[in-house]
Amino acid sequence: MSKLISSLITELRRGTLTLAVLSQLRTPQYGYSLVQLLEKSGVSIDQSTLYPLLRRLEKQELVESSWDTTESRPRKYYVLSEYGIEILEQLKDEWEKTTNELQTLLKGDVENAPD
Amino acid sequence: MHLIDIYIQEVTRRLPEKSRQDIALELRSTIEDMLPEDYTEKEVKVALENLGNPALLASGYADRPMHLIGPRYFDMYVTLLKMIIPIVATLALIVVITENVLTYNGEEAILATILSIMGHGIWGMISSSIQTFFWITIVFAILERTDTSKDKSPLTPNWKEWTPDELKSIPYIKKEKKISKAEVFGNLLWIAIFVTIYFNAVHLIGVYEKVQGKLQFIIPTFDQDVLQSYWFIVLVALVIEVMLVFHKFLASQWTHKVAIMNTVRHVVSTIVLIVIFNNNSLVNVEFYTYLEDLFHFTFELQSPVKLAVILICVVFAVIDVIQGFRKANIG
Repeated sequence: MSKLISSLITELRRGTLTLAVLSQLRTPQYGYSLVQLLEKSGVSIDQSTLYPLLRRLEKQELVESSWDTTESRPRKYYVLSEYGIEILEQLKDEWEKTTNELQTLLKGDVENAPD
Repeated sequence: MHLIDIYIQEVTRRLPEKSRQDIALELRSTIEDMLPEDYTEKEVKVALENLGNPALLASGYADRPMHLIGPRYFDMYVTLLKMIIPIVATLALIVVITENVLTYNGEEAILATILSIMGHGIWGMISSSIQTFFWITIVFAILERTDTSKDKSPLTPNWKEWTPDELKSIPYIKKEKKISKAEVFGNLLWIAIFVTIYFNAVHLIGVYEKVQGKLQFIIPTFDQDVLQSYWFIVLVALVIEVMLVFHKFLASQWTHKVAIMNTVRHVVSTIVLIVIFNNNSLVNVEFYTYLEDLFHFTFELQSPVKLAVILICVVFAVIDVIQGFRKANIG
């Protein structure tokens, strides 16, 4: 049973991952700093999912990347592109709509529950 | 350090050449970010454990599918397999039977020959099915990898998006009207068996006796020359049979057309049967003598027996024709 619930939770979270990552990329971040940023807000993300996701977002032209070689070790920084900002806003609206809808549904669920 | 190198190698060797270097560089800086200044091997292990199985990480980077045949092609793949494998297996069996009977020299024991045909037949069916399965799978795996459309919905037979209009081109088949694939393949197999027997009657049909503990063929029932002089009308009947089988396969249900073709086929094959049976020199004289010795009667009975055989055939043909029309008339 617990296996089922954890797989359902993973599924539920998977869709929100892109939004979570995009929301933190208004300022340039490198891979590990992004992990820490997300973890600070309590969002734990599988690192084996995050790094490929960043590259995919780059391929979709939502983020831009650049190598910073000024520091002791080279780091690849990712930041939202113009197009990415646009998409982020749309996704945010969609997310708010969805949470409102679900909230209504779940409240109704409690009210309609048999005593 | 060493472990990190191996880890990066394990990830990148699974990736396309052109993205390897960049990903390797990024991975290394990420892993080092996760570690303190002077790290121990234990800390490296913890960091790598966080990143997870290299194969999984690599699959995240690669945008190739991680499956052989995805949801878009799977349905069509299974449909094709179900359609083609039975055909191929039946054909393989027919080929094996024909081959073995044609090369039969009449010297080997019949039972051993039948067993060998069965063995070879089963093997032929299995190996041809595996071949077919393999090639169809390869083709679909390639399709899966070359299809650039992001569409995941299953393909329809005409390669377009599904619409309710599609349903119009699919016949609704009632259970009682249905012609099963097994029936079609059975018919085909039966035709093949008939052909081989017809051309080899002199080796196959007749009197078998146990000589020196072995079952041996003694006297053929038919005179092969007489029997084979009818090859042309037999061929015509066979062509009609095969046409009917193919039509049945395509129609997959009893329609008026199928019923009419079925009638034609029965009429033709019954006529052929009557013509052949009416030839008095069809049955081998030796065979008659053998029967006379065996049952102690003279062959006044000859024509009643013939008549009975013909009558039975006609009755079965009529029943089958009527059933065909009955099924065609349902709903």
